[in-house]
Amino acid sequence: MGPDRALPGENKSKPIKLTDIVKPFTLILLSCFLFSCDSHEVRQIAVDVPAGVQVPEEMVYIPAGEFIMGHKEEPRTRLGETVSSDAYLIDRYEVSREQYKKFQPQHTFSPKSALHPVTHISYSESLDYCKAYGKRLPTEIEWEKAARGTDGRKWPWRVFSDHPNNGFSGFTSEPVDKRKEWISPYGVYGMGHNVWEWIGEGYTYLGQPESERDQFKVIRGGLLQTHITIKFSPTYFRNWMAPESKLNFIGFRCAKDVV
Amino acid sequence: MEKPTKIKKDEAFQFIRRDFLKLLSFAGLSTLLPGRASAKDDWRNDKNIPKQYIQNRDLPDFHIRSANPFMGVDMGAWGLAIGGMVKNPVGLSYEDLFGLKMFSQVSRLKCVECWSAKAEWQGFQFSELVEMVQPDPAAKFVYIQSADSYYESFAIEELLRPRVLFVLRMNGKSLSKDHGYPLRLIAPYKYGYKNIKYITSIKFMDTRKRNYWANSGPYSVDGTIQPGIDHPLDYNKKPLPINGGEVFHFFDR
Repeated sequence: MGPDRALPGENKSKPIKLTDIVKPFTLILLSCFLFSCDSHEVRQIAVDVPAGVQVPEEMVYIPAGEFIMGHKEEPRTRLGETVSSDAYLIDRYEVSREQYKKFQPQHTFSPKSALHPVTHISYSESLDYCKAYGKRLPTEIEWEKAARGTDGRKWPWRVFSDHPNNGFSGFTSEPVDKRKEWISPYGVYGMGHNVWEWIGEGYTYLGQPESERDQFKVIRGGLLQTHITIKFSPTYFRNWMAPESKLNFIGFRCAKDVV
Repeated sequence: MEKPTKIKKDEAFQFIRRDFLKLLSFAGLSTLLPGRASAKDDWRNDKNIPKQYIQNRDLPDFHIRSANPFMGVDMGAWGLAIGGMVKNPVGLSYEDLFGLKMFSQVSRLKCVECWSAKAEWQGFQFSELVEMVQPDPAAKFVYIQSADSYYESFAIEELLRPRVLFVLRMNGKSLSKDHGYPLRLIAPYKYGYKNIKYITSIKFMDTRKRNYWANSGPYSVDGTIQPGIDHPLDYNKKPLPINGGEVFHFFDR
């Protein structure tokens, strides 16, 4: 305690008021809200969109600049280097089944799952979708920056939280706009949970054997499972998949250059 | 059912047998399952399983798992009944299955218990059966039953994927009793529990039925392998990350 410490017996003449207790409590509550210590609100990076740049409703503008990519203990990542990107646009949500049906009328789904991410889509099918809307698949740099912002965080929402387990081997997707509490610092949804997403790049890493090259595409940002648990995937985690795979846990989102 | 009028002598036996099996599949897929008689004992909650029964065994190369221990299929009574919403229900004998085009592949069986083991599998593709029975366009699912009272369900398209085989041979020999003799499924992108053994019937349906482990444990009907960790038996159970879908490791080659 510093010199401001009250002397013993000093407050004897001052009866404790209820407001003395309530005021600091309110302050703590308020600061919790502001600094998201209850994990319901992810602090957003303030972004100025330059004049003349049109940002479509369903996309987010990510400004040019540096960010921390990979993690030093994950040898197949960029090891926590500082990497820079140009400005770009990325879909706020994973592409939903409803949206995909507009592009591919044969696509069927139950009305209950209209807002769930589209799955069982191969790499080339996801690319075709993006191209049809003048977009493309994101690069790894673009995806990771949109997921973790600039402070090198492990989870899009910064603070660790346990995934509410839905049972081993029972992967269930959710509506793409459901989890506001798990958005990234740029306001992008579904970067650490829901489905894995096709990235427009092949899976390579330093020292990759010849036999592994040119076979797989990167997928990012879904749920990981062990025998009885389900975990979020860290923002720098790189998964890989044969491009023709159509699986229930892989979907995608698109990106676009800023013109 | 139409009676055959003229049959060449050398075709007679085969034709009559097929006719008989066809009749069998008409009579009811689930009630008249050949081989089922040998599974009348239910050992599911019993610890005193007779030694000669197929049952869970942790063998170093390939663990054996059995939902309901039984003596194995009685081949004198076994046949494969394919029916439900199809134009041509059929009953096939073991020999008939060897007349189908055989494919061979090396793939891993990945168990939800966190181990995997690889083998060379030989068998036929589901597309041949589909062609044979001609399902109603409204049929979207199949329900598969096995001689030990196990059951599984799939969307038809899941079984038409590449590298899904109805397997008759493993590592160059007929399937052993432990591994599902006479007929099992190998769907490498699904967890082991979906890879049903001792198959006796396949029924085409317009609704999806559940499966044994979704009804008896915390496992999904879908059972697609999720990204996580594998402990391959042939790699000293060393933990290795898997990316989901079919599990293979580069040391498999």
